[in-house]
Amino acid sequence: MASRQAALGKNNPRRFSYRFTLYTLLFAGCAIMLLPFFWMVTTSFKTELEVMKMPPQWIPKDWQWENYVKAWNVAPFGRYFFNSFFISITTTIGEVITTILAAYAFAKMRFFGKNVLFAILLGTLMIPGQMLLIPNYVTIYRLGWLDKYQALIIPWLASVFGIFLLRQFFRSIPDELRDAARIDGCSQFRFLWRVVVPLSKPAIVTVALLKFLGSWNAFLWVLIMTTSKELRTVPVGLSMFSTEMGTVYEQLMAASVLAIIPVLILFFFTQKQFIQGVARTGIK
Amino acid sequence: MKSWKIGVIGLVVVLLFGLFAVAEEPVTITLLHAMKPTHQEPLLKLISDFMAEYPYITVEPEYGGYYGDVEQKVMASVVAGNPPTVAQLYENVITPLIEVLVPIGTALPEEERADILDGLAAAATVNGIMYSVPFNKSIMVLYYRKDLIDTPPTTWEEFRDLAAALTVDTDGDGNIDRWGTIIRADGNPELFLNYLTQAGGTILNEDWSEVTINNEAGLQAMEYAVSLAPYAIVDNAYESDFLKADQVCMYVSTSGGAKYNYLAAESIGVELGVALAPAGPVNNRTMIQGANFAVFDRGQTEAQKEAGILFCRFMLRPENTAYWAIEGNYLPVTKSGYEDPAWEEHVANDPGKQVMSEAMLNGFGPLNHPNYSDMRLVFRTMFEEAMLLEATPQEALDYAAMQLEDLLEY
Repeated sequence: MASRQAALGKNNPRRFSYRFTLYTLLFAGCAIMLLPFFWMVTTSFKTELEVMKMPPQWIPKDWQWENYVKAWNVAPFGRYFFNSFFISITTTIGEVITTILAAYAFAKMRFFGKNVLFAILLGTLMIPGQMLLIPNYVTIYRLGWLDKYQALIIPWLASVFGIFLLRQFFRSIPDELRDAARIDGCSQFRFLWRVVVPLSKPAIVTVALLKFLGSWNAFLWVLIMTTSKELRTVPVGLSMFSTEMGTVYEQLMAASVLAIIPVLILFFFTQKQFIQGVARTGIK
Repeated sequence: MKSWKIGVIGLVVVLLFGLFAVAEEPVTITLLHAMKPTHQEPLLKLISDFMAEYPYITVEPEYGGYYGDVEQKVMASVVAGNPPTVAQLYENVITPLIEVLVPIGTALPEEERADILDGLAAAATVNGIMYSVPFNKSIMVLYYRKDLIDTPPTTWEEFRDLAAALTVDTDGDGNIDRWGTIIRADGNPELFLNYLTQAGGTILNEDWSEVTINNEAGLQAMEYAVSLAPYAIVDNAYESDFLKADQVCMYVSTSGGAKYNYLAAESIGVELGVALAPAGPVNNRTMIQGANFAVFDRGQTEAQKEAGILFCRFMLRPENTAYWAIEGNYLPVTKSGYEDPAWEEHVANDPGKQVMSEAMLNGFGPLNHPNYSDMRLVFRTMFEEAMLLEATPQEALDYAAMQLEDLLEY
């Protein structure tokens, strides 16, 4: 025991070399992950010529702050950011509500055809989105929603993946809790909102974060379903920096930095719950 | 007597007024395009000029994303029954849509139709009828470093010999540091199509019933391309990336990328020259790339179709195609565009642009077969396999021909 304690002591060389190796690897991994972001930020301040240099110029000689002004003026980014926020927030709230309800039904309730219905829902995940583009466009057109917010929000208020994710989490909540609540006169709905949802915060935050990211990054759907600038979003604006003859990298990077700031802030405030959700639901 | 004369005059006046009122009835058309902000300004100016000349027509431009996105939106809207009035599309995308398009060639006066560059007119024609008009076009030319090359090569053999001489180990470590040329086999299979045309070959026969890419001319083209392999970087990164790394001396690429090539040369302190592509056994023609305007018949009123045709004709005017080419870094699409004073002044002090103009007048358009996009995937694989010496020229061509056979039907 004493020798073991000595072996695990703070000044033990083995412990030191283990921790040194571990932190070196972690640092290297961190550096690799951060390198693209570093490149993105520094490139956003470079001149056109500095972007092209080989070997790469990592730090700009003169910081071109006006790249951000130029990038902002390429498209009505103010309006695009508003639309991105509005659509992302509304679809996230909507999806969280519908997903919670559907996942609870599939996890805890019994009804005819439940398993078949769930299998069908999962089957829809295997259909490539490209195949559905034209039929979806026709549907949106016939509903009169083309070039309207309805086209960008309503079809995205539900998510099969979110239902699957939450269902798996809800199934881990013991049925005994529900039985006890029922004995106390608690309805299914009350049980869901008073017991299940509070217990499932990490998973729900995960669903919400993934949804927000997905909505924020949506490109093709927005492009196809809208015609006017007033309804377009940040990813559509970012596409404007790449032409058939080349890309204006310094401005694209500037616009990209602006585009990821909201997502970074959101992740900063929800990372604890997100990581817990990932760990408990087993998704990557 | 007097009263009936007054009545006739009055009737004529009413009829004339009515005709005038019908002709001037406001009409709005939509233009779906793939032009990014750098090109949107000149496009919007042209639209504004058009609307000033035709005040009863309103053109609503709509940015549709990349060409592939525009194509998807057009396909979806055609099915839904609400396509745009005018859309910017590649020729091969236009071919399967001809049943919903206005045969614009029949609406163009003969002199305007004849004014379109021959290579472009052919690419825009399906079954003898022109269904679109060219808009934003560029041509492939030879870019070369003036610090290393005094006289650019003018034939295949000269190009190969020069590439061999310029492929060097600059630091003496036994590894090649700078290659004569670069071949973007997967990224730019049009390079092979250049060689094919320069050898007198074609992808398909005239009525698209037979694959001819693997005949004698095709083999000659592929064998020549493969003979460049020892002196070429075979990669899919942009040529300018290798130029700025001082790893390449000359290459055939699009005139549209000139700005990036010049910048890359400037970044390493060298001057870049532009020349016509080296000639093969038959000619030195290179491929014209870019998109066209097509006017939709489905979902449009007669007035909208007429306005769409007027818009296309407006864009073909020499002063307008020249303006667009100057501001957008493209090339004029009509013969008279090259004689426009603004274009002549623009190229007067730019030898590179003069070469591009000459190449464009002699260029060939892409195959407008409906399955050309899939065929292009076949070219990419075929060309890369041959250039990486994973297949012999004949093997690569024969396998490609086999795949192209399956794509003949549409």
